[in-house]
Amino acid sequence: MSEKQQSGLLLLGVGGGGCRLAASVLASYGNGLCALGVDTDALSNRSAAAGGMTCLLLGGSRLAGHGTGGDAIQGRLAAQDDMQNLLPHLQGVRTVVLTACLGAGTGGGATPEIVKALHDMGIATVCFVTRPFTFEGEARRRAAERVLPMIEENADSLVVVALDDLFSDAGEGVLADAIQAAEGLVSAGITLLWRMVSKPGFIRLDAERLHTMVLKGGNARFGFASAEGPGRAAQVFAALRACRLLRSGDALSKANALLLGILAGQDLRLAEVGEIMGQVRDVCKSDCHVEMGTVLDAQFDGRIELVALAFESWTAAAQVEPRKEVSQTQQEPPVAEAFPIQPGSKRGRGKGSKLSFGATGRGKFQNVEPTLFGGQDLDVPTFIRRGITLER
Amino acid sequence: MAIPPIAALEIGTSRTVMCVGESDESGRVRITGVGTYPTIGVRKGQITDLSQARVGVEAAAKQAGKQADVSIWQVLLATSGGHIQAMVNPGMVTIRSGDRAVSREDIEEVTENAQTVQLEADRQVLHTITQSFTVDDQPGIVKPEGMRCKVLALNVMAVHGLQNRIENAVSVAKSAQLEVTDVAFSGICAALAVLTPEQRRNGVVLVDLGGGTTNYIAYCNNVISAVGCVAVGGDHVTNDIALAFNIPLNRAEEIKRTEGSAVIDPEIGGRRVTLPADVGFEERLISCKTLHTVINARMDETFRVLRSKLDEAGVLPHLGGGVILTGGGAYLRKVTDLAQRVFGLPCRVGLPVNVDGLESVEQPAALSTAAGLALYGRLTYEDRGLFSPLKNLFKGVFHR
Repeated sequence: MSEKQQSGLLLLGVGGGGCRLAASVLASYGNGLCALGVDTDALSNRSAAAGGMTCLLLGGSRLAGHGTGGDAIQGRLAAQDDMQNLLPHLQGVRTVVLTACLGAGTGGGATPEIVKALHDMGIATVCFVTRPFTFEGEARRRAAERVLPMIEENADSLVVVALDDLFSDAGEGVLADAIQAAEGLVSAGITLLWRMVSKPGFIRLDAERLHTMVLKGGNARFGFASAEGPGRAAQVFAALRACRLLRSGDALSKANALLLGILAGQDLRLAEVGEIMGQVRDVCKSDCHVEMGTVLDAQFDGRIELVALAFESWTAAAQVEPRKEVSQTQQEPPVAEAFPIQPGSKRGRGKGSKLSFGATGRGKFQNVEPTLFGGQDLDVPTFIRRGITLER
Repeated sequence: MAIPPIAALEIGTSRTVMCVGESDESGRVRITGVGTYPTIGVRKGQITDLSQARVGVEAAAKQAGKQADVSIWQVLLATSGGHIQAMVNPGMVTIRSGDRAVSREDIEEVTENAQTVQLEADRQVLHTITQSFTVDDQPGIVKPEGMRCKVLALNVMAVHGLQNRIENAVSVAKSAQLEVTDVAFSGICAALAVLTPEQRRNGVVLVDLGGGTTNYIAYCNNVISAVGCVAVGGDHVTNDIALAFNIPLNRAEEIKRTEGSAVIDPEIGGRRVTLPADVGFEERLISCKTLHTVINARMDETFRVLRSKLDEAGVLPHLGGGVILTGGGAYLRKVTDLAQRVFGLPCRVGLPVNVDGLESVEQPAALSTAAGLALYGRLTYEDRGLFSPLKNLFKGVFHR
């Protein structure tokens, strides 16, 4: 049985940056990880495939494998063109961990389309997306900002990693290495998370828990830290609190749910776990829902690594929207669990904002019988319904 | 047999067209008079203001009559709109003769059987189109006469529309003192004018990009396999542009024609065009890339809707002849490139090659429907026998 079938987890890299992140996680994790890369650039696809990752070319007929040239609209159309090709790879998948670097064509254009398709198929998604460095320019930053709400609308959990946060001093280091180093850090964090859920230890934090947390937790911040030597338990949690990705502990103290993984060697002591969890209790809110798991692996002997997903919300069980299953063989959720979507939930808000366009956007077709297709009013301009932001 | 001149009227969403066609002994139709006038009072192919629509009909009839030197008092009318639908109706007979050979009477009986279409009371059949016979379990038979079998079946495609909507268009012609002798679906007319026999044999889809509607008709193995209309057209592109840039519709139409493209030109860069000032309208700079983005989104969606409908009808794998675009929208820059990408099939613009007399007309594809309607009139005027393959396609005979 493959890992995908076993865990229902798939790592999906979208675009050049997303594929590099996924390939990097695959290289760190080793065999057994089920990863897929999708990109419009055939060259980038080939290099990712060389690392053992399955790769799909998007928009081959439209772009001939030359990439989007930074045009997010082309990325979006390419994803629409070839969405069918993605479906066979999603058989048996329940949770997708998606990686993408925003600001460019495929990552910015294709990601919202793919996330929407995953949502429509009932697959839970946790999206790790990077926001570009400030030095990459205002245009890329704006492009990334435009795309984020579209991803958020359909993603179950969105983790935005601002690359600027990864370095305390942007002036340090060689410019050419900065992006690579940042991506290395992000992929290291995702690798830890993957290891956490794929190789559960004595205290289980498996794919099912991640699936549930993703569905109930909403958007999240993500951080990780490592420490070794005497006093490592205290040090590693202090390092986690200092992690800029977690807003220097602010995200931990404000989180409504926390998924915390402790990765250590066989020498991990009970007292160390107790010390870490004690500090979690001290820092987090009293009603914060905490899920903790451990992985004991000989390669971590002498050190402790922590990986944390701090969720901004926590939905009680009775308020969670049930997800339809992709595989017919998987057990359907009982009818009693079919509760309506929470009125103020992220997805509900998203749909509401879309409808507001329809009320005012019909122009000359204002008082004409609407042309309806696939649940959409075709008299409303396509660019509005597709959420295309126009540069004026 | 001499056939009098045929007047064909199309009350389109953006313009009204009248064509006068005259046929020679060979059966070719030559357009001897064309009249066009901007339409007001029509939205998405349907009449919204009878009196305003009449103005265009009168003007187009006057112009075409003068050019052809005829007095027009009877017309054929092309109709379109989102209400037009098609359904396949099966018919079946048991062969009763002792030798089990299909006779001419059996064919007539099964045809009559299949043409008896049950529709809601408010719908009217425009055409019944013979598809193919099934002889026992053997489908795809074109001429079953003489073949031996137990059961003969026939599928007939019925094209129908809402009676009131069709009659509204007829009323407009009547108010212009024109008698309507027959009504035909615009998509079928355009196909008659544009498609060659070879294209029909190879399998082809004709997409008529009109102002308010997009009609389609697909042939597989020389048989009409899918017919329909999507109430989205060039007007929607114009409306999208007007809303995107907050400019009047006439300005949006103008910039669509002069600078529009269905594909975002990668070399357009930051080019902007000026919309000059007019009364109550300040000069504006329009980004070409944004303009192309708006048009691309709409046209891409329209083609995807069509692809979805053709896919649903199961005809997509049988379109070896590709996609033929006709109608005024076919002149949008790079529209064939976009259609080729969306359908994954070769695509080109189709001109009304099956009629003569339009060689010197600017943008003849915009006249495909009216020219094809004149040809339809010629074909349905003939006695049975001379044009029997086509004769069977259509309900009723055009009388003058």
